[in-house]
Amino acid sequence: MPTLFSFAFKNIKRKPLRTGILMFAIALLVSALVFSLSFVQRVNGSINKASERLGADLLIVPTNARGAAEEVLLENKIKSFYMDARLIDRIKVVEGIDKVTEQIYLVTMSTMCCSVPEAMVIAFNQDTDFIITPWLREKLKHRLEKGEAVAGTESSFNIRLGLVEVDSMLFGNVFRIVGTMDPTGTGLDNAVFITLENMERIVKSGKAKVKPGEISVIFAKVKPGIDPSAVAMRIENSIIDVDVMARKDIGKNILSTLGDMSRIFMMTIVLASVMAFFLVWAIFTAIANERSKEVGIMRALGAKEQHILRIFLIEVLVIGCAGSILGIVAGTALSTLVATTFSIVKQLSTDLSFLERSAIAVVSFLGGTAICVFGALGPIQRLKKMEPLMVIKVE
Amino acid sequence: MSQVVIDVVSKDYRVANETIAAVRNASLIVERSKFVSIVGHSGSGKTTLLSLIGGMVSPTSGRVLFNGEDIYTWTSDRLSEYRCEKIGFMFQSASLLPILTAKENLMLPVAFRSQRTPDGGHEQKAEDLLHSVGLSDKINAYPAQLSGGQQRRVAIARAFMNDPELILADEPTGDLDEETENEMMQFFLRMNKEHGTTVIMVTHNSDLARQTQQHFRMDRGVISHV
Repeated sequence: MPTLFSFAFKNIKRKPLRTGILMFAIALLVSALVFSLSFVQRVNGSINKASERLGADLLIVPTNARGAAEEVLLENKIKSFYMDARLIDRIKVVEGIDKVTEQIYLVTMSTMCCSVPEAMVIAFNQDTDFIITPWLREKLKHRLEKGEAVAGTESSFNIRLGLVEVDSMLFGNVFRIVGTMDPTGTGLDNAVFITLENMERIVKSGKAKVKPGEISVIFAKVKPGIDPSAVAMRIENSIIDVDVMARKDIGKNILSTLGDMSRIFMMTIVLASVMAFFLVWAIFTAIANERSKEVGIMRALGAKEQHILRIFLIEVLVIGCAGSILGIVAGTALSTLVATTFSIVKQLSTDLSFLERSAIAVVSFLGGTAICVFGALGPIQRLKKMEPLMVIKVE
Repeated sequence: MSQVVIDVVSKDYRVANETIAAVRNASLIVERSKFVSIVGHSGSGKTTLLSLIGGMVSPTSGRVLFNGEDIYTWTSDRLSEYRCEKIGFMFQSASLLPILTAKENLMLPVAFRSQRTPDGGHEQKAEDLLHSVGLSDKINAYPAQLSGGQQRRVAIARAFMNDPELILADEPTGDLDEETENEMMQFFLRMNKEHGTTVIMVTHNSDLARQTQQHFRMDRGVISHV
């Protein structure tokens, strides 16, 4: 027996080209939506994760190095910037500061074997550190000795270490990798970590740009109950040699750029949605005109308004759902393949989780299907109100 | 109780700025299980009268009663149920849905029933009805694969699918050859006699009209007993 479903499916198959065009339009819209949302979510998520996991309330860098520090932490870019190490003592005594630790960034592992990708070398203070140690996959059984290093998860993978200790070369000095960090979702994943004591060997060798008595960054924690922004302002007012970023401000520049890009994406999506809406409306208006006699026959045979509505809604839902699914597949592929050519995304250490991808797929699916349904609703509403007499009148 | 009562019904249409009176103060009583014919020229209001009885167009004035109830006091959904379960329609043309086979066209009204039996033997019934109108070999044919006469016979069979109490037939044998026309008339008479189905048939053919139990004539919207 023909059910309303089978009847609707027969109608869908009736004009395959028209159905295909409609599905393609929805698929295009949804793929654009998936691509945009994936892009924005990936950048946004990476920045949020980086600032959440940093472990410090304040990031203190040399004046004008704020952007470079963000690029190191958020975009995995390899940058170096230095300031006087004596600034640590001045920061420590600022009201509200609980503890501080410093790091030195070296430009590159320039003398490493050709098969090893470029990576940052970060020297940290083993006595005061609260940034690196929490991320060690296994607690070190001893303090890092001379000639020992810890690798970020990506660096570790890149130099094919895994958890196995293998010698590697840093600036012509032999180092043993004795630990690997858990993924942090920040630029730290692409670094190799050594202690300040080890750094002295590299500095003395003269192969790195850093000079004795210089550091790159100071991480600070503020005392409980103290507003980090207030402390940041206090530091900037009293020490002109540094820029200070509170945790919530990290990535602000990127987010601002991202905001502009998001708006462009959103405008494109809105325009595409409006176009898709009108396309669906135009096609369903044509369908309504074509089938008015059939609707009249069905009404005369006893179809209620809800039957007519259901038949057409099934049609539009099938088209919308199929188009949306196609769009999700295409958009996900696009975001995975093409987005790697976007430098801002290429540099990010964080990819989207399955949950995030699923959420984007669901939102895009609902968006695509809703536009299809709302576009068709006007013509369908007019059609379902058609009086059965129409069929007799047009005979 | 009378099954159908047309109680001083008028129906006007507005065309441009002109009012056309399609039915004027028509009164008609049809008893249950009667076979009634209405004859008249084109434009005399016969189709409008059937539409009024079928709950497809509301009267300008007057009442249409079915089993004692004024059908135009009902909601749209109840009118649809009335058309689906109480009435079997035959339009001036076959009016089949082109994407459905002959059998599926017959079963379409079943899909609109408010209460459906889980397995009411609908397929078998559709096949039996198609057999009754001589289309056993066209059960799975699409309307485009049928001749005009065959399409008309499918439409006749469809009208009986939901076991209606009342058949409203608008020139049901209009494009059939004489032999098939007679066969279909015998089919109507049999259904009327065996199942007690009331039939109101509009026709130009006075020979067919003479085979019915009551004859009415319509002229310029006015109905009169013959």
